[in-house]
Amino acid sequence: MVNGTVVDLSRVQFAATALYHFLFVPLTLGLSFLLAAMETVYVTTGKPIYREMAQFWGKLFMINFALGVATGLTMEFEFGTNWSFYSGFVGDIFGAPLAIEGLMAFFLESTFVGLMMFGWGRLSRGQHLAVTWLVALGSNLSALWILVGNSFMQDPRGAVFNPTMMRMQLRSFPDLLFSPDAQSKFVHTSIAGYVTAAVFVAGVSAFYMLRRRHLELAKRSFRMAALFGVMATIGVITLGDALGFVAARVQPTKLAAMEAVWKTEQAPMPFNLIAFPDQKERVNHAAVQIPDLLSLLVTHSLTGTVPGIDALEKRAERKIRNGIPAVEALETLSQDPGDAAARAQFDAHAKDVGYGFLAQRYAANLAQASPQEIRRAADDTIPAVAAIFWAFRSMVGLGLLMLAYFVMAVLFTLRNVVQDRPRFLQAAVWMIPIPFLANECGWLVAELGRQPWTVFGILPTWMSVSDHSVGYMVFSLAGFLLLYTAFIIVEMVLMIRAIRSGPEPAHGGPVVHVAGAQEPHLGG
Amino acid sequence: MTNTPIEIEGQPMKTLAYFLLFLVLAFGVILLAVVLGDRGAWYFAWLIGTPLIVLVSAAGAAWLDTQEEAAAKGAAHKAP
Repeated sequence: MVNGTVVDLSRVQFAATALYHFLFVPLTLGLSFLLAAMETVYVTTGKPIYREMAQFWGKLFMINFALGVATGLTMEFEFGTNWSFYSGFVGDIFGAPLAIEGLMAFFLESTFVGLMMFGWGRLSRGQHLAVTWLVALGSNLSALWILVGNSFMQDPRGAVFNPTMMRMQLRSFPDLLFSPDAQSKFVHTSIAGYVTAAVFVAGVSAFYMLRRRHLELAKRSFRMAALFGVMATIGVITLGDALGFVAARVQPTKLAAMEAVWKTEQAPMPFNLIAFPDQKERVNHAAVQIPDLLSLLVTHSLTGTVPGIDALEKRAERKIRNGIPAVEALETLSQDPGDAAARAQFDAHAKDVGYGFLAQRYAANLAQASPQEIRRAADDTIPAVAAIFWAFRSMVGLGLLMLAYFVMAVLFTLRNVVQDRPRFLQAAVWMIPIPFLANECGWLVAELGRQPWTVFGILPTWMSVSDHSVGYMVFSLAGFLLLYTAFIIVEMVLMIRAIRSGPEPAHGGPVVHVAGAQEPHLGG
Repeated sequence: MTNTPIEIEGQPMKTLAYFLLFLVLAFGVILLAVVLGDRGAWYFAWLIGTPLIVLVSAAGAAWLDTQEEAAAKGAAHKAP
């Protein structure tokens, strides 16, 4: 039996490395397309200011890209070191998108990143523009394959469980690639990256405008970022709705946790705007509700209902009872793969085999699993409600804040008065961390909501880990935390230094400083 | 300046090469639209939406140039 502490430490370690990595990724995804936009204007108009912009923001892109790659590399190895059973169980499916991601990231993306950085003056304008677009496409396509793999964990499609091999096998690659969860998750995540980059570029530009430095670059960058950001934010909200719609069908426990719905009510159901969920008592304290809104948001109708946690737990109990004979049949098949009776028993209960695995954690002898043990396993199918509820509300709240910010930014910049609004510019600088926080909250909703599964409904988390000692896990976790914190500090120092230095003139001409302007003072 | 015989002969081949290139591109785009439109509506939306966002952003920058030029001209006219 796997040590529960090792399971928890493995989860914490992967969560920590992923959360660190996800601080870098969205900025890369979005900034690459913003660079493409700036360089497109440079190539079409021939104005040197846009080359200066592309080179300056390109330098910041490179800092972020390098540290993003460094933090991402370890995660691929973590699957093998800490999640070895998972890797063997779904390697046939998860391996394919992961391998394509590796090819995209290390061949397409990295090759063109090199050409983009060192190709100025060596490639023609058109060639360099094509390279920049390919960097943007490569970055986002490598994210696509990771998210396709992740979507398989949320909504396993295109694969079947082979009871004689004891692992999943790929049946349909198109089903895997085109699953609704993969599609909506990729577009939601990619566009969240656009929003992150837009807030970052607008914030740094606002900093320059406040200091009356690099005004031409800052005004143009702010204008482009504001328009880029407002459209992207609308896209993120639209795709967030699509993801919720998918979750309602494929991960009802996640949705019930996101909305803190303990009991199924008659339609139309109210939306918990604010609540303090109590998982032990199964109630919400101090709930502030908006009538009818939950049905409308989740089912897009006033007649749809969201199953409550109580009903989902009862359903899980039934599935566990149905899954236990499948696991018993697997034990027989592991001794004798040709046992026809065991195979027939497995096939009859195959759809709930994952729920049978859940019961194994508490019942050493599945044939004699007690009602208490089954109830305990069913209770495990409900994720951490309060954490998911608040992470979801934080993400949505921050998303709406960014929409309001970008609407104002667009209004000010289109009237070309943003440089005369110091309070708004100060707010724009303070907005820089907001999308990063929203991204982390979104990741927490997606991954905490998937528990207790690594592959939803098929492979429980407790079965997926490697058999390490607690000491090994504590040591490696501490090492990762120290190393990744160092990466974050290095990124911040390099970014702040590059921003304080400012852009270099495009053709050797002087960078214009406005007389009487203060020297920049960022980060201290 | 007169064209050399090589350029005269080369021009139709270049045009044909362009024609074939764009034909293949058009075929690829139509195929992509059919496949994605049928199975991957959100992927298709991303493929269309991203260049749209980029182009709107780029148009905004070009518009700012126009605004600045107009403002500079206005200031020059007002100057004594």
